[in-house]
Amino acid sequence: MSVDQIVFTLAGAVCIAGAVTAVAHRDPRIAGVALAVTLLGLAVLYAGLAAPAVSAAVIVVALFSTLPFLVHLTVPASRIHATDGPTVAAAALALGATLLALLAVAIVLGEVPVNVSVRSGDGYDLAALGDLLTGRAAVAAGGTLVVLIAGLVTARAARRDRPSLP
Amino acid sequence: MTTAAYLTLGAVLFAVGAVGAVIRTSAAGRLVGVELMVAAATLTFAAAGVGFRELDGQIAAILAIVVTAAQAIVGYALISRIRRPE
Repeated sequence: MSVDQIVFTLAGAVCIAGAVTAVAHRDPRIAGVALAVTLLGLAVLYAGLAAPAVSAAVIVVALFSTLPFLVHLTVPASRIHATDGPTVAAAALALGATLLALLAVAIVLGEVPVNVSVRSGDGYDLAALGDLLTGRAAVAAGGTLVVLIAGLVTARAARRDRPSLP
Repeated sequence: MTTAAYLTLGAVLFAVGAVGAVIRTSAAGRLVGVELMVAAATLTFAAAGVGFRELDGQIAAILAIVVTAAQAIVGYALISRIRRPE
């Protein structure tokens, strides 16, 4: 077996075992841990597919959307002073809307390379991606950056104004 | 590895997630099942993109991941709000 086959076999087994555990276990903490393990196994598979950007995105999702939920479930309810749920949800919505707007504007401007690969022979062509963001899509990138900052500021203000629980 | 192996793994993960979304009765359990299904679809997107040697699959995969992150956080926030004692 080659190294790729070994990695695929191990990561696939981890993914399936984690998925079954996440679905079958009644304890939400164990199910959450199993879900995070599944996502990290998927990240390894994406790396094997020569898709490091997707792999990094999966790792970010596992670290910043699944694990905080586990921490929240682990802490007893009496020790929770104020949940970050609505604030985090607002930030997530702002982030998702920003990325979606960036993608839509880039598609309208014809800047998304849907027909021409931006990957060079030895990996991602970062220079091409930089030209994409600083070229004709610079207005879209700047505008969405402003929206992202506004969303984060709004979420922070909402968190500051929300009354804390006893 | 061949693209078919990745597609098969994605189908298995989707089936596990679908079963979990159907048989679980708690909101968190159903949310975990839906997340698994979206993750399987994302893997299928990426594998098909690599198989066809196009970047479209990876773009769709990243978009699906972003949507999954927002959906997961909003869902978990709702569950946390429900679970929190008044």
